[in-house]
Amino acid sequence: MSTSDSRLGPMFDDLMEHDLARFLAAPGSGLIWIFLFLVLPMTVIVVISFATNGEYGNVVYEFTTANYQRFVNGQVYHQIIVDSLIAGVVVTGLALPFGYTAGYFLGRSKTDWKWVLLGLVVLQYWVPFIIRTYAWIIVLSNNGLINQLLLGLGAISNPLDIMYTQYSMIIGLTVSLLPFMILPVYVSVSTIDEDQIHAAKTLGATDFRAFREITFPQSLPGIVSGVLFVFIISAGAFLAPTLLGGPKTRMIAPVIETVFMIDFNWPFAAALSIVYFLVIAFLLYLFTRRVDLEEALDTGAV
Amino acid sequence: MSNDDTHTQAETRNESGIQTDGGTPTASAGDDDIHDISFDHDEVSRGYFGITLATKTKWALIKFVTFLVYASMLLPLVVIIINSFNPARLGGFPPASISFRWYEALIQDELMLRALLNSVVVGVAAAFLAGLIGTLTSMGFVRKHFRLKNGLVIVMLSPLLIPPIIVGVAATIFFTQLGIGRSIWWLITMHALLGLPYAFLIIRSQLYLFDETLEEAAQTMGADRITTFREVTLPIIAPSIITAMVIVFVISFGEFTATQFWVQRTTTTVPVVIFSMLRTSISPKVDALAVVMLITTITIPLVVLGIQRKLSRT
Repeated sequence: MSTSDSRLGPMFDDLMEHDLARFLAAPGSGLIWIFLFLVLPMTVIVVISFATNGEYGNVVYEFTTANYQRFVNGQVYHQIIVDSLIAGVVVTGLALPFGYTAGYFLGRSKTDWKWVLLGLVVLQYWVPFIIRTYAWIIVLSNNGLINQLLLGLGAISNPLDIMYTQYSMIIGLTVSLLPFMILPVYVSVSTIDEDQIHAAKTLGATDFRAFREITFPQSLPGIVSGVLFVFIISAGAFLAPTLLGGPKTRMIAPVIETVFMIDFNWPFAAALSIVYFLVIAFLLYLFTRRVDLEEALDTGAV
Repeated sequence: MSNDDTHTQAETRNESGIQTDGGTPTASAGDDDIHDISFDHDEVSRGYFGITLATKTKWALIKFVTFLVYASMLLPLVVIIINSFNPARLGGFPPASISFRWYEALIQDELMLRALLNSVVVGVAAAFLAGLIGTLTSMGFVRKHFRLKNGLVIVMLSPLLIPPIIVGVAATIFFTQLGIGRSIWWLITMHALLGLPYAFLIIRSQLYLFDETLEEAAQTMGADRITTFREVTLPIIAPSIITAMVIVFVISFGEFTATQFWVQRTTTTVPVVIFSMLRTSISPKVDALAVVMLITTITIPLVVLGIQRKLSRT
């Protein structure tokens, strides 16, 4: 080792000879970032969730379990979490068949338009949720596109009251999350060796059987990834329930926001966050017993 | 396919003992051979004929559903764009005439221009930050062996799994308790965090394909670590780093749920402005702002990815 040489490169090499220094840079930098700005904040809100809410919205460090008692005794909060999970299941149940079909089409189609169609799905990813959500107000409201169209055609005599209900929220969420289903399904379907399908059909397999035994199993990674993303995002959605939902819509994210911003009760908002986090963590734990979480996230993100 | 071919196929299939759902050769075992074969042959030809017809119908159905999916995804965007040119304050759809009235109002609105600038600055800064950290981290994960690696991967990906509402609340309480006030740095730090898993996954997948002997060769020939990285590693993984940065920019630019807790009046971003406009007074300016946001979030990635493609081709 040439310690006498003072050029930057070798000096850097020397520094990098220390395992710890190297580890702290790579992979340490990312892990430190996550630890500082996610793990530590999560730990802090665990502490705060046992603190008392001050009169002026400040946090008073007095140990109390009142925040959790309020959750345990408040039937309404249990219902909110259950409703959020149900909304997640419904949206996932709708996005799966539609998204799968579109992803399957993109994966198997030989059309020249395929790249345009794929590009449009990617563009959907790029368009912020707030825009995609807000647009549904213009489409679904009483003097919106759908009602104008149906009224104009004479199909209905009074505008349909879809806007500001559970339905408008579910529609908005499902369509917003379709790209999360389409893209991973497309990726896994397009990697299937078409010869396998042809071979199966030559040997007499019906379309359905060829699908069930070849296409479907090989597209499972795409489905798993899509389901994971769509469920987590829809159950924890904030914009769709706030902008599209109605008076009966109760989802966890808007409730946490209200407790935090309007009631200014940070300890209780922290407690609700922790409870919801534990629910999601438990569901993910059940999920990882059947599938590889890392692989599912990898398929969805790349 | 001729009839004979089908016939042979049916026989071969029977001999090799492969059974299809419908065809149950064993059921007709008591019948004479000719009947057996003709039954099977019948099944196959009917099936084959059925497949050609049904496949077409099924494919048409798939096409139709795909069309519906695309229509539902694109319709809202088209509607917003058209509506932004509607001069009426409470315009129904479609607009009676076209005007740039709301775009003009937008240009004169200082708060909105400020928000647009903030969004772009935060997005670009978060992209560079997450690109740098993501590169280092994924190199560490791909090249090194360390304890708890599989568990730490999930830690790296955890921002994808924790709902943004929780990340928003947690970070706000954390920074406030530390006495750090809201600033643009707060936004950049947290947006880099939210984009980091994507950067990590995208760059890592490129590194998996990387031939490490290239680096070894460079170092054997006397290159130090920095030179090796700059001359060998970086050019190969650069496309994935740029893709990652584009994705982080897009995520940062559109993030609302967590960001709403992190902004103050001077550091507000476009999604927060749009949201508060929708909640308080529905001004048609919001459509114009949404279209500007739409154009920005599509143009910047397209331009960056386009330049990157051109550079990597030469």
